[in-house]
Amino acid sequence: MPSFPMPRGPIPRVLRTTSFRLAAIYVVIFVLSAMVLGAAVFWAARSALKQQMGARIETEMAFLREEFRVGGVDRLIAVVQSRGKGASALDYLIQDSRGVHLAGELPRVAALEPGWTMIDVPEASEDGGRPEQVQALTADLGGGLLLAVGDDFGRTSEVEEAIATAFLWTVGLAVLLGIGGGVLLSRAFLRRVDAIANTAEAIIGGDLTRRVPLRGSGDDLDRLAGTLNRMLDRIDVLMESLRQVSSDIAHDLRTPLSRLCQRLEDARMHATSMSDYRDAVDGAIAESEQLLDTFAALLRIAQVEGAAPSKTFAEIDLSALAETVADAYGPDAEEAGRALIAKVAPGIVIRGDRELLTQAIANLVENTLRHTPPGTRIELLLSDDPAAGACLCIQDDGPGVDPDDLPRLTQRFYRGEHSRTTPGNGLGLSLVAAVADLHRATLLIENRHPGLKVSLRFAQAREALT
Amino acid sequence: MKVLIVEDDSETAAYIARGLHEHGHVTDHMRDGKDGLIAAMDATYDVLVVDRMLPGLDGLGLVRALRGAGVRSPVLFLTALRGVGDRIDGLEAGGDDYLIKPFAFAELLARLNALARRPPLSAAPTIFRIADLQVDVLKRAVTRNGERVEMQPREFGLLEFLIRNADRVVTRTMLLEGVWDFHFDPKTNIVETHISRLRAKLSRNGLLPELIHTVRGHGYILRLPDA
Repeated sequence: MPSFPMPRGPIPRVLRTTSFRLAAIYVVIFVLSAMVLGAAVFWAARSALKQQMGARIETEMAFLREEFRVGGVDRLIAVVQSRGKGASALDYLIQDSRGVHLAGELPRVAALEPGWTMIDVPEASEDGGRPEQVQALTADLGGGLLLAVGDDFGRTSEVEEAIATAFLWTVGLAVLLGIGGGVLLSRAFLRRVDAIANTAEAIIGGDLTRRVPLRGSGDDLDRLAGTLNRMLDRIDVLMESLRQVSSDIAHDLRTPLSRLCQRLEDARMHATSMSDYRDAVDGAIAESEQLLDTFAALLRIAQVEGAAPSKTFAEIDLSALAETVADAYGPDAEEAGRALIAKVAPGIVIRGDRELLTQAIANLVENTLRHTPPGTRIELLLSDDPAAGACLCIQDDGPGVDPDDLPRLTQRFYRGEHSRTTPGNGLGLSLVAAVADLHRATLLIENRHPGLKVSLRFAQAREALT
Repeated sequence: MKVLIVEDDSETAAYIARGLHEHGHVTDHMRDGKDGLIAAMDATYDVLVVDRMLPGLDGLGLVRALRGAGVRSPVLFLTALRGVGDRIDGLEAGGDDYLIKPFAFAELLARLNALARRPPLSAAPTIFRIADLQVDVLKRAVTRNGERVEMQPREFGLLEFLIRNADRVVTRTMLLEGVWDFHFDPKTNIVETHISRLRAKLSRNGLLPELIHTVRGHGYILRLPDA
């Protein structure tokens, strides 16, 4: 199979697919909402930690005040110095009114005021980290003696950092999964779109029999492929009909045209009188009228095959229509020595094209009149079966049709060997078949020994309301 | 009668005009749909012959605009090809009749005569008389020479069509369309057979003078018996 070059832009094809774009949009939306959620969690955790820290400091402060009240400065210093130096231990500062550092690991602060303050710890901790900040509560114990109790601010930062890291990992993974999934989805999507595109290219290349492969999953792409295939089938039928018409015209109209030409040439060479010429012209007119007639019939069949049913369809009384046709041909059949008997169930209504159905039924009756010997009994039957729909049937007790001819009767210009000499253009049944198709009716032609039975079964019929 | 021909094919237009002139009628010819519409707005024409496919404005558009402007002149559409539903489109647009090319001039003339002299509906009589034949279309009763003639519904339809167009030629296709609603050309002689049966009934198998006359190559005419 030939490959067709696709235009290659700077972006790979996978990234330009609809499914990848959708995946990308979803990833962006996910990241944005995760960020909002992360920020909320972050702030909630931070304020909870601070509250906890404040409560712990206040409890310690109350305990130390009590110690000071009982044992004075010395006892206070002793208690502070006895406090452990663990990772979770609090930090202390005792400073007298002149600003002299009395105890505690926190550095001296020049203008220490009662209340909450931040105290910088300039020297780095043992592990060489950045300078710490300590959130401290300062209280005046009386006589200018100040006590500050603080907690390592860095510890809250550590928790915050942990939350932020976890959050970044989650988002990063989601983005990776989203992009990866998007690429995979797009690949799968692309493969199926490519299958459709390849089919289309093959058809453009001339292979009209190609169809889009179906996976049988019934998903949206599969249904699209099915619709495309049905469209291609329909186009195929129309093209075939068009091709058929042109080849029919080429093959079957050449004979009468050359006959017309010969007749005129013959008149030019041999006609000697005015009446000879008139006869020749009359004959030529008759011949060309018949040609035009055949043309019209051919085009009509092609039009019916290409027609959209909805445009001209209306509710029509099939019973009345059948009666009209029987009524119109009855006297003619009688003159020709055949009996045309109509047995029509009343009030059968279908949706259809009145003109075309009339012509189809008339063609069937004419066919029977033309191809049966005098004395034949012809029956036009219309019945309605609630299960199978309306059935219009024309049957006779004549000689029937050669079984070999049966399947070819509806082909254009096809005429059985013994009917070559009877008038007609071999298009009557083709039109009936086209009209039947348009009405989604089944056309069935069968020998009934004796005679022939042609039936049109309308699946859509229903009784009229009246 | 005065006929406006709106047709872009000059050969067809000349063919129609020549035939109409030979029968003593007056014609005007427009090639373009817009010019045709302007001319038709005059409303002085007895009948319009309008081609479906025209440059400028197509036949359907022309007749729609004409009917929209309240001009009621009868219109006969000409078309090169009859598609499924085309005739209905033409009649729905406001056309009165429809003829497919190629056509015999006699067919066109008969139809134009029928259109141009169509009486307004309100004034349409319900009882028609020709010689000693009387047809009451309301009671659906026929008498000849004072005696009642029994008719089948379709026979009555045929007679009604003929007597409504009395003294005018009606063609075989006009009868097929008007009486049976057949818009195709049957390959058998159904019109001839029905006419001959109607003749036999009306003339009591030749005892009374013939009223339905054959116009050779054209059609039939219902008129006074030949003197």
